[in-house]
Amino acid sequence: MTAPVITQLLDEATVQEIADQAWSALVGEDEVLVPVPGELGPDTRSSWVEIVGPWSGTVVLTCDRDTAEELTRALLREHAPAELEPEDVDDALGELANVVGGNVKAVLPGPSFLGLPEVGPAPRVTSPADTCRVDALWRGRPLTISVQGTPAPDADPAPSYENGVPL
Amino acid sequence: MKILIADDSRVMRQIVIRTLRQAGYDDHDIVEAEDGRDAFDKVKAEDPDLVLSDWNMPNMTGLECLQALRSSGSGVPFGFVTSEGSVEMREKAADAGALFLIAKPFNEDTFKDALDGVIV
Repeated sequence: MTAPVITQLLDEATVQEIADQAWSALVGEDEVLVPVPGELGPDTRSSWVEIVGPWSGTVVLTCDRDTAEELTRALLREHAPAELEPEDVDDALGELANVVGGNVKAVLPGPSFLGLPEVGPAPRVTSPADTCRVDALWRGRPLTISVQGTPAPDADPAPSYENGVPL
Repeated sequence: MKILIADDSRVMRQIVIRTLRQAGYDDHDIVEAEDGRDAFDKVKAEDPDLVLSDWNMPNMTGLECLQALRSSGSGVPFGFVTSEGSVEMREKAADAGALFLIAKPFNEDTFKDALDGVIV
């Protein structure tokens, strides 16, 4: 049986709704994500969680580095230090991806498993057809939330062999 | 009361502490743990009155921590605060002896609904 693609399972409005709830609860009651695309700068940071199940892929949050720092301050509020440590920013960005990812997982067919948050350069989109992406502005700053599929292992092209030995 | 908060995210521990206060549960002693193993050790060392634990953590998950506590004879009241709130996970949590599961994202009302009667 062919695995479903994400666009058969959820739409942008659902991802936006999940993100709105996360922002309102974690970032601030009056904080909104305006569903308007903006242009990310050259220095971005991403966080993501992996979902493995009938649909497998990652839920990726990407924003500019200074947006990540502002998000961290918003999450920590009065506990935000004057100088943010990189670990704090990674932690905050990872937790936002974790909450959005956990709620994306909840609307997908199960059983599924959720990985721990990771932070770094954005994972590559391997299948645009298996991707559901929301672009939004927070405090006028652009960010994206991408629910993007991971190709099944059996979907990989056959490995190359020479004289019967895997290359 | 002494409340142990276990989450591998320091930011999320701060948010849980802040939400407890917003829900009116201030004036309690807070102990923090950074994963399930740390939570298990701190339950033994600190004897908290309540554990609020994330589920998905490195080293030892919240569920494994709860199971280890029950196996060791600890009956400490235990609830999950986790990004996954499916029916299946709520059943697993209840079967292991958790009093409640608060799904992230949460607010002070969610905390009040789960904790009213648990925190005195």
